[in-house]
Amino acid sequence: MKPFIGLVTLILLGSAIPSFALDKDPVHQVTDQIICPCSCGEVLTGCICETGVSMKGTVENGVKAGKSKKAIVDGLVAQYGEVIRGAPKPEGFNLIVWIAPFLATLAGFAIAFMVLRRMVQRRKAAAAVVSPSAPGTIPFPTARALEAEAEGLRERAEAELRELKQGS
Amino acid sequence: MSELGRLALLLAFGCSVFAVGSIAWGLRTGFSGPLRSGRRAVWAVCGLALLAVILLERALLARDMSYRYVAEHTSKDLPLHYAFTSLWAGQEGSLLLWLLILSAYGAAFLFAYRKRLDPFYDAVAMVVASVMVFFTGLLSFVCSPFRILATPPPDGMGLNPLLQDPGMMIHPPILYTGYVGFIIPFGFAIAVLLTNRSGTRWIEEVRRWTLFCWGFLGVGILLGARWAYIELGWGGYWGWDPVENASLMPWLVGTGFLHSVMIEQRRGMLKTWNIVLIVLTFQLSIFGTFLTRSGVLTSVHSFAESNIGPWFLGFILLSATVATALILYRKALLESENRMEAIVSREGSFLFNNVLFVALTFATFLGTVFPVVSEAVTGEKISVSAPFFNRVNVPIALALLLLTGAGPVLSWKRATASVLQRNFVLPVFMGALATIVALAFHVTGVYPLVCIFGAAFVTTTIVMEFARGIQARRSVERAALPGQVAHLVTKNKRRYGGYIVHAGMVILFVGVLGSSVFQKEAHGPLRTGQSLPIGPYTLTLRGVTERQKENAVHTTAIVDVKRGDRFVATEHPAKALYTKSQQPMTEVALHVTPAEDLYMILGGLNEDGSASIQAYINPLVSFVWLGGLVMVFGTVIAISDKMRLRREEKAAA
Repeated sequence: MKPFIGLVTLILLGSAIPSFALDKDPVHQVTDQIICPCSCGEVLTGCICETGVSMKGTVENGVKAGKSKKAIVDGLVAQYGEVIRGAPKPEGFNLIVWIAPFLATLAGFAIAFMVLRRMVQRRKAAAAVVSPSAPGTIPFPTARALEAEAEGLRERAEAELRELKQGS
Repeated sequence: MSELGRLALLLAFGCSVFAVGSIAWGLRTGFSGPLRSGRRAVWAVCGLALLAVILLERALLARDMSYRYVAEHTSKDLPLHYAFTSLWAGQEGSLLLWLLILSAYGAAFLFAYRKRLDPFYDAVAMVVASVMVFFTGLLSFVCSPFRILATPPPDGMGLNPLLQDPGMMIHPPILYTGYVGFIIPFGFAIAVLLTNRSGTRWIEEVRRWTLFCWGFLGVGILLGARWAYIELGWGGYWGWDPVENASLMPWLVGTGFLHSVMIEQRRGMLKTWNIVLIVLTFQLSIFGTFLTRSGVLTSVHSFAESNIGPWFLGFILLSATVATALILYRKALLESENRMEAIVSREGSFLFNNVLFVALTFATFLGTVFPVVSEAVTGEKISVSAPFFNRVNVPIALALLLLTGAGPVLSWKRATASVLQRNFVLPVFMGALATIVALAFHVTGVYPLVCIFGAAFVTTTIVMEFARGIQARRSVERAALPGQVAHLVTKNKRRYGGYIVHAGMVILFVGVLGSSVFQKEAHGPLRTGQSLPIGPYTLTLRGVTERQKENAVHTTAIVDVKRGDRFVATEHPAKALYTKSQQPMTEVALHVTPAEDLYMILGGLNEDGSASIQAYINPLVSFVWLGGLVMVFGTVIAISDKMRLRREEKAAA
């Protein structure tokens, strides 16, 4: 399990690095990160409303003019506000939304691991104190067996009551 | 008639309150009379909700504009079938549909357990009735669908064009069947705590109810994705929109529960955790409705917004508080019966898979609500959309994919080194081989490669599990291979149904990978006779037509599609302008093959007479729908499994 947890952790940490297959169109690299400022709320790449199409034109012109992606995005943000960034800038209060999911995942793994380890240790300690094979030890019926018996009885009672009702 | 509708809802409210009080009294005193009366009251609510729906449908179909709801959501030129489905186009109608499905679940539950004399089932019915009190109360006193206008308008405002799609006729009811269905598992969980019930029979029962509504929710989500793909015209099917997220969250937690419940059944462990997951799933279902209906967040799926948000929030807080208090009060009841033997075991892998499901839900929840939180704290409006979720959720989902392969091949209690070696060498080898092949085809990037590795890894483990099962039955089974597989699945529907769901998940992941990473796009203004190349295709505009169709004017581009030199089809991307609302809608043209979809949109007509055509090649999209179908198939098989509790209990004892 440990190598597996390691691999999973690696993936989670690796996610901090943007990684996509194939060389993307430079226009898409910008439009994928921008939300249309009109009420449609679509990512610019797929947006077909008037505002979106006009903004895509601005991006295309910027790329053709040799502007950097950052400069194009900053220009659009200056015009329309931070709300057009599809993902908030990882700074200040917004850092929470970037960090918390991964922290929570790692904390979840750590807690699960500790809980499992404690359970295993307790079991080992209990097994050491009372050996099931020790002479004179009476096997104690588990709660599950008792419940099974109780449910069996309940079902029998229900069946008998049904028979009684049908008889009457 | 509107008075009759209002009366039906008021009576339903009264019956719900009576059901809760009567069953509570019966449970406290042990008298069977109040319990019987309470059950009958639940049946009555179902009948009254049905009556209210029939009355509203009658008004919708007759376009009775004296009803405010009818005037707001229909018009005289609206086709009849859309007038029928406009029941769930607005808030009041949607809530009425919620109530109808909720009360139908209540009635179905009572019918399923009509021969059981155990008061435990009455306690479950009481929880269902409590939720009915909330919905009947809302519909009676806060947002009645039977409000009458003092001066009826000559015509209505019409139905939102986005909802005038065949998919919208079935998507909301199916999604609601999933959402609302989680009331039964929630009822079981609360009843266990209320009645101090320790048995394990309820676990098997709750698993089947959960599978049922989980399956419906999954189908609803897929239909929603399909609707977005065809109707929204942006080339994709999942945009991490708040309402999409709202439907995904209970599905994710429900999936986690369906895994961890196996540990409770087999080993009597994780009882508290399972109750927490059930409660959380239900809370997230209500939260989904809150998001859709409150207008707190902007969404392409929010068709009705109002001031009922605080009521929902209050209900979520109240039910969460009651559930938490009960869990704490019954702490002793939820003690584990067994201890874990080893971390490297199936139980261990399920626990880690649960962590990932909850983490994925948490990331989705945080991203969905963060714009509201951030604006409240910093005063600045921000967006948290697909670019964020693709960065944060995709790696967690990939980790889950890997665990999907690992969990089933680990043995219960303890997986020894030899078991690990026997079960993991081939899947890892196949995963590595697939990755190398992908690299040879110039696929790069961590996520696509991990996804390809994971898909091959999980597929191999599933095939190995089937092969082992067939091998084990070879001495008694003489049929051909398909027959052997069918018999194997029939013998253990739950186990192999689960594997089929996993196989569907793998197909879905491959579809998502193909369509998101390898998508191609081309766009441009085309005059008649001009062509637009995209991948192996050439699109040639043959002309543009304009005609009135039902309640909209359709401007349609006629596009010839060639693949290389071979003519493939003539497609008709269109733009519909709805006369009532003057709202333009995209009518996507799709050329579907198993390997890829050619997706065409008419952006509009330009002043120079040219048509703006946008086209995408979306590889492997059909795998997304196929994966969903396979998952549904697996769910149906798993749900049809007979009760095996007794056999398992004997083995455990």
